[in-house]
Amino acid sequence: MEAVSLVGQSSARAGTLMNSSEELIARARRGEDEAFRLIFDRYARPIISFIYDMIGQRDLAEELTQETFVRAYKNLKALRDDSKLSTWLFGIAKNVARESLRYKHRETDKIGIDDDRVIELSDGKLPPDRALLDKELSGVIQHALGTLDHDKRLVFTLKVFQQRSYEEIAEITGSSIPKLKTDLHRARAEMRRRISPYLGVGYEL
Amino acid sequence: MNCENCQSLIEDYIDGALDQKSVRDMTTHMNSCAACARFREELVREQQLYWRYDRGLEVSTALWSSIEARIKQDRATRASGTISRMRERLSGLIAAPRFSPAFAAALVVIAIGVTVAVMSYLNSPSRVATVATNDPDKNRGAVQPVPAPGVPEKTPDAKQFVAPAPEESRPTKVKLAVPRRNAASTATPTPAQLVREAEQKYVTAIAMLSRDVDKRRSQLDPMLLARFDAALTDIDKTIKDTRRVARENPEDPIALQYLLAAYSKKVDVLREMTASTD
Repeated sequence: MEAVSLVGQSSARAGTLMNSSEELIARARRGEDEAFRLIFDRYARPIISFIYDMIGQRDLAEELTQETFVRAYKNLKALRDDSKLSTWLFGIAKNVARESLRYKHRETDKIGIDDDRVIELSDGKLPPDRALLDKELSGVIQHALGTLDHDKRLVFTLKVFQQRSYEEIAEITGSSIPKLKTDLHRARAEMRRRISPYLGVGYEL
Repeated sequence: MNCENCQSLIEDYIDGALDQKSVRDMTTHMNSCAACARFREELVREQQLYWRYDRGLEVSTALWSSIEARIKQDRATRASGTISRMRERLSGLIAAPRFSPAFAAALVVIAIGVTVAVMSYLNSPSRVATVATNDPDKNRGAVQPVPAPGVPEKTPDAKQFVAPAPEESRPTKVKLAVPRRNAASTATPTPAQLVREAEQKYVTAIAMLSRDVDKRRSQLDPMLLARFDAALTDIDKTIKDTRRVARENPEDPIALQYLLAAYSKKVDVLREMTASTD
């Protein structure tokens, strides 16, 4: 089944690391820096991607990723359920990103994009070169993401890009699952409108 | 399952958020419904587009280095904070060092008071002194206090203390008659006891001042510090010598004067060292 195979892709990659999260946490709590380094290696990419999707600035995303892992290290003893390390990390990252957005006194939930790949579509025709297409597509997705309000962007990023379950997203965001589903449905609809030229002729719902 | 139900659940289907029964019902319906099947294909294609989303982000080694540096800094800060708190608690229990200068000063005042009382007592008309020894050389070990180099001279002089008498006529041992007015009182301290009390207060005050000075040594000019240390060395030698003589001649007022004057001198030098860092 296609849907199942698509969902399973990221978890297969995550399983390649030998140490369990529980074991790494226990070792890190005992002061083993190497264990925390392995936790970083495992989660740095999804965390920095998530933060980047939330704030839209590359340098700031790196800075906030640093802050996320430092906070995680300092509060490792506060993690109650070691099996929920990734959920916990995403929760910290969400808070760090939100604080940053508040600090910048953003009056709107829309984020600015500092990526030069954002390209305005003129006639809906796709360039033939695949690499160029991917670059352009990434710019369009990023731009579209930046137009979502905070709640929709949050749930869309966690569900579509990070493939978290609704239960995990509810824990990370503190929102109810019905609200998350509603926000996600609306976010998908908004995103679909923006990327529809890339979905092929006749793509309409 | 009809098309409306299918389309309301199709996002959960794509997300893998449905139970197995719902997945089976959806699959059965889409196998027989071309419109819903196409809908599913479009959503899958949409999802695949999102997976092609390349942010162009790299997790640099510098990122971990920054995190590691901050972790180590945090650890060091916590460790130093713990040590500081322990030190504060210990010092609070043992020495109360923040109040030591004032406390030391109070002790010195008391010691000086006791010294003055001893001297007044020794020099009072009611005291009857008799030369009770035929060994005139016995007190020759008394050492003159050594002036500290670079430190204002405050050691006993002719105005401040009774000058030692010429050796031939100086009493080497003094026997004190019991003062008449206190003859009935057994609680009246003897001069030796008073001197010992003053000495104890000087020793305590010097210990406190020395601790403060040790903390401030790094703030002193090295040349000045060397001169202070030389002065303290000389004074310590004087204290040692005069204490020995005073012990051997517990009722010799001159020996006692020199001993207390040496202590006083050391207090002065330590105070000056402390003042030099303020």
